[in-house]
Amino acid sequence: MPGSAFPPPSPDSPPETPRSGITRRGFLKGAGITAASTALLEGVQTLRADAESEATPGVTEFGPGADSVRLHVNGAEHVLDIEPRTTLADALRLHLGLTGSKIVCDRGVCSGCTVWLDKIPVNSCMTLAIDAIGHHITTIEGLSSESEPHPVQAAFVRHDAMQCGYCTPGMVMSCAALLERNPHPTEHDIRHAVSGNLCRCGTYPKVFAATLDAAGSRRA
Amino acid sequence: MNRFALADCTTIDAALSQLKDGAVVKAGGVDLLDRMKDGIEEPQRLVNIRNVAELRGIRETLQGLTVGPLTTLAEISEHPGIRAHYQILSDACGHAATPHIRNMATVGGNLLQRVQCWYYRSANFQCLRKGKDFCFAFEGLNQYHAIMEYTGCPSVAPSSAAVALLGLGASVELTSAKRGKRTVGIRELYVVPDANPTKFTVIEPDELLTAIVIPRPAPGTRSAYQKYGEKESFDWAIADAGVVLEMDGPICRRAVITMGAASPVVRRSPQAEAALAGKPVTEETARAAGRVSVEGAQPLSMNAYKLDLFPVAVYRTVLLAAGLRGRDPSAAG
Amino acid sequence: MSNRPTEDALLPQAAMPANSTVKMPVGVPGYTLHEETRQAPASEPPVWPINKDLQYVGHSAHRYDGPDKASGRARYTSDVQLPGMLYAKFVNAALPHAKVISVDTSAAEKYPGVRGVYVVEHVLGPAELRNPALDRGRYPVVRFAGQPIAAIAATTPAAAQEAATLVRIQYEKLPFVVDLDKARESNAPPVFPGPADEEGSAGGGGGPSDVHQTGNVHGPSVHRVRDTEQGFKEADVIVEGHYITQVQTHSALETHGVVADWKPGMLTVWASTQGTASVREELAGYFDLPMSQVRVITEFMGGGFGAKFGAGNPGVVAAALSKKTGAPVRLMLDRQEEHLSVGNRPSSDQTLRIGAKKDGTLTAIHLVSYGTAGCGTGAGCAGPATNLYQYASLHTEENDVFINAGPASAMRAPGHPQGAFALEQTIDDLAVKLNVEPIDLRDKIDNHPVRRVERQIVRESALWKSRSPVPGADQGPVKRGVGLAQSVWYRFVRTNCAAEVRVHRDGSLEVLSAVQDIGSGIKTVLAQILAEQFGVPPSQIAVKVGDTNYPVGPDSGGSVTTLSLTPAVRDAAWQAAQKFLADIAPALGVSPSDLVLVDGEVRSGSGKFQPISFRRAAAKMTASQITAQARRVPDYDPSKYLTYGGVDVAEVEVDTELGRVHVRRVLSVHDCGRPMNPEQTISQINGGIIQGISFTLFEDRLLDPKYGLMVNPDLDLYKIAGAREIPQIDVRLVEAYIGQSSTDASGIGEAAGVVSIGAAIGNAVYNATGVRVRRTPMTPAVVLAALRQGGTQA
Repeated sequence: MPGSAFPPPSPDSPPETPRSGITRRGFLKGAGITAASTALLEGVQTLRADAESEATPGVTEFGPGADSVRLHVNGAEHVLDIEPRTTLADALRLHLGLTGSKIVCDRGVCSGCTVWLDKIPVNSCMTLAIDAIGHHITTIEGLSSESEPHPVQAAFVRHDAMQCGYCTPGMVMSCAALLERNPHPTEHDIRHAVSGNLCRCGTYPKVFAATLDAAGSRRA
Repeated sequence: MNRFALADCTTIDAALSQLKDGAVVKAGGVDLLDRMKDGIEEPQRLVNIRNVAELRGIRETLQGLTVGPLTTLAEISEHPGIRAHYQILSDACGHAATPHIRNMATVGGNLLQRVQCWYYRSANFQCLRKGKDFCFAFEGLNQYHAIMEYTGCPSVAPSSAAVALLGLGASVELTSAKRGKRTVGIRELYVVPDANPTKFTVIEPDELLTAIVIPRPAPGTRSAYQKYGEKESFDWAIADAGVVLEMDGPICRRAVITMGAASPVVRRSPQAEAALAGKPVTEETARAAGRVSVEGAQPLSMNAYKLDLFPVAVYRTVLLAAGLRGRDPSAAG
Repeated sequence: MSNRPTEDALLPQAAMPANSTVKMPVGVPGYTLHEETRQAPASEPPVWPINKDLQYVGHSAHRYDGPDKASGRARYTSDVQLPGMLYAKFVNAALPHAKVISVDTSAAEKYPGVRGVYVVEHVLGPAELRNPALDRGRYPVVRFAGQPIAAIAATTPAAAQEAATLVRIQYEKLPFVVDLDKARESNAPPVFPGPADEEGSAGGGGGPSDVHQTGNVHGPSVHRVRDTEQGFKEADVIVEGHYITQVQTHSALETHGVVADWKPGMLTVWASTQGTASVREELAGYFDLPMSQVRVITEFMGGGFGAKFGAGNPGVVAAALSKKTGAPVRLMLDRQEEHLSVGNRPSSDQTLRIGAKKDGTLTAIHLVSYGTAGCGTGAGCAGPATNLYQYASLHTEENDVFINAGPASAMRAPGHPQGAFALEQTIDDLAVKLNVEPIDLRDKIDNHPVRRVERQIVRESALWKSRSPVPGADQGPVKRGVGLAQSVWYRFVRTNCAAEVRVHRDGSLEVLSAVQDIGSGIKTVLAQILAEQFGVPPSQIAVKVGDTNYPVGPDSGGSVTTLSLTPAVRDAAWQAAQKFLADIAPALGVSPSDLVLVDGEVRSGSGKFQPISFRRAAAKMTASQITAQARRVPDYDPSKYLTYGGVDVAEVEVDTELGRVHVRRVLSVHDCGRPMNPEQTISQINGGIIQGISFTLFEDRLLDPKYGLMVNPDLDLYKIAGAREIPQIDVRLVEAYIGQSSTDASGIGEAAGVVSIGAAIGNAVYNATGVRVRRTPMTPAVVLAALRQGGTQA
């Protein structure tokens, strides 16, 4: 379904239905343990290790304390201990040290915290981390490698589409997501795609130009 | 945000079994997390229905459409069938909030979001709708508040999806484990904030919104929704209009005109509808409908300007629905 | 002159070396370029030609830290995580005015995860009483809702936040006032028990301290030039207007905050600041530490716009908590605190009268302004009226009105957007009354040589030519209009800044300065200067800034950074290059004067050897490193070119049925001395225009009048222009050489559109509708009211 933001996971989501992702508590305890994704996902059936807590069929209990959960971030599995109230933004920034996404408004109106869930851009500040289980999470750090920036990132540098740079990761994620679903956007399309991204330095004109240019360079 | 337990459910039955002891339902979570972050709500337990697959998706039936409440605003706005036959709904969902929020927020959540009044949303103000006996908006800052049909609380209906669904004559299906299913119209879903201002909808604590049912529009139906804000990039409506026209050639057989940001509960304007029924849709008749859309309005101290805005929102959206005018570049969202 | 940031003129100046006479390019190429003579210190490097004859400087180099910012690798203060770091959270006053009777932190201290609690002893930011004894009491008096009272440091942000709710504060409520008009009344609750003053920061702001205070009215600060009574008598026409502008908050995306790590012998602070030096000075002073034991680091910072100078309450409290707990402490404000407690642009209520002769000559300007900087001062806005035009007489009275709201701080061109909003619309009114074109009137009354050129560029533009001379000419509800307005800002030079340049034997080059890059791109410019001097591409230069371990940099406020620091950097680079050539010349068998650095090579001017790469030449150095440090020398002729500015043209569409104003196109013609990196300069001008549009049309800090609380402390109902509000912006950068330093750069941050665009929009709205909107933000409610009023008048 176009625009599907969360379950069912898109075909390129990690296997297992509907949301694999919990490791046995104590088996892989602690934040920041990573492993190759495929190996760990196999055979994991439930959201939580202590599956016996599923007293009611179709119900998995979390919290209120920390549970060990597994998130699939930038192509790698991470196991972290989080409370149900932990937002994806905090999980990424505080637990995994992925500080590229920024918390600015903390209410979903500035998109500085934009990450992708299965290539769909969402506000990580308004997403609970446990709702990201079973999805491919892509952060600005996972968009590209240092040696080969994403075309949008390269275009942002070429066009000076940044000043203080604090909105830039969110802008890049929004513009790159636009090109994923619309490789040939008009400036009008770009304005709409970043209409939830706030920039206080006023860099928008160059964001538009850079994204148009990136689309052009992708065409080439 | 307070610490809470969360019951993650994968079936409707599982979710219904968890609706007890003050547990609060969470779908996309956008409005709920907003309230929790603002400290105006501190549930100890959330029932997460985000992963209930049965509650998601759009089904076209002979009778019309059945929309799962977990369907996101983005999914609805981009659905080709909805774009073709239910333009008003596509418009309303496609112009709510921000693009990323539309990827996260569900249509059910949009319908059930709480009012956006800044007094309600601030933990510093203990207002009527939080169980106290005072409304701060009447004597305070009320430029974005209601101009009509308010009694206890003048905060406006926040859901743009509701403006569209009311126009389409939709209803919602509510399910309880004990009492089974019942169907409630969109207008009736909401509780007018007078007798019991802490109650926002008629949904009981053990009920779940399980479907949105939209009747098939009569042949010749055209529809549209437009929202006006102070900004065009993400903003709340200061005026909006939903228009459904059943056309018989150039003549409007029947019109439904709905408004959100005018009153605490989404409303139809019978006067505006009457101004169009049986007449050809022209700029003149559209403007006439707009003029009467605010009949009976009693603006608050700071929002008389809305009396000018709604007639414009209505006439331009009537013309948009009729195909006589393009989408207004001034419209927000 | 009002609103000018404090000069560092009181600092002892370095002894002036012997001067030599130099000829320098002055004026605008293609218009007024000529040569002028200057006396420059003999130690200065050779005069640079205009940009087209330079290789790197004056051309657009990619932003030095662009890849770091675009990739998310850039680490801001809010991203710093240190081992064992604690998270701190403020406990803030929930009342706008109160005496604090007691602060009970015992429950918070016992809360799991809490490591330290601090009760604020002195609140930084608000005006200080001239007689501090009037504020007796154990705790600071609460003068605005959101004022910090205590802070908690805990092992997680959630624990700190939860513990913060456990602090019990007992208040004695005091009557308060949050409305400017009410605060002026004689029986208004006094915000201060006596006269109080707020000093400006390195970014300006603040108000005068030599004025009377009556009740809450701090002022007037009166400035007179000759006799306006006489001036109005001599006037053929008089125009007058009453203008109101709102309070705007800076709303930088990264909030104020620090990470403080207090270790024996060294306090290290990562700070989101516009002035590493200002943070170090305030912390050293507050804690009585030697400057050598305070280090401030700002590699990246997420916007300041004038509000981020000094350690402030977050800096002091985080340092105190770090000292107390022995652990590093991060204290970043949340969005609500950012709106409430760390600065804003004051409001204004201006009554402006201008008298003129039939030929346009201004005989008198009379301005009375009131404005509120909350519980601070700095609402003066007479700068444009005082400094933009020629006049026979001037009388300005600026008043600060205290209310119980967070103190203002400098914000991008303090006072000037407000002042220009009134002045430039009144000048247009005058043009209407005199039946002359507004651009012609300005030619008559504005003798600034560069703005004259800028108006010429405007005059020749398609946008200006498309302006209908008849206001409200369009049929239909959506009306198009075009208007212009001018801006002025000042050349402030900070001589208290320096840089070091290093040449390494492996051929690598680096430049070091404590200066912080606040988004203007000074890192890139420093790389370009070294590139120009050494003949290598900027990408080969390492730029080390934002650390007080390096030579002191200027605090970035008042558009001083580029114009102050770049000459020091060039001087250091030039001296390092001279030392380098002297060092390697013997090995190459030539005299140093025979050597040139160009295109990545060292060449012999006389052809004594084949060119060799810079790297191979560097290998011949006799030491592993050659360094040179230079301090900013004063401007060559400080009597000249004290102001600069620009002309902005706005095209608007006014939907007269909805009262919506949409800015479609902007032509922005600006000068900033020698543009060092045009692409980055254009970015700043775009930003000034967009912030100015946002101020003019949308933003408003709303305080509930009965409870004194801000109702929109968010980025949702505090409305900031987004992607769909952005016009097509055409920036024409005017090279305007002024012959003042070895780089001849000026600033752009303040003059960049933010001063003039509001008035340009106002003038365009008038051109579209024939109705003048004298109030910001121009929301549908405001515009519809003006249209209605204008309609009945007509």
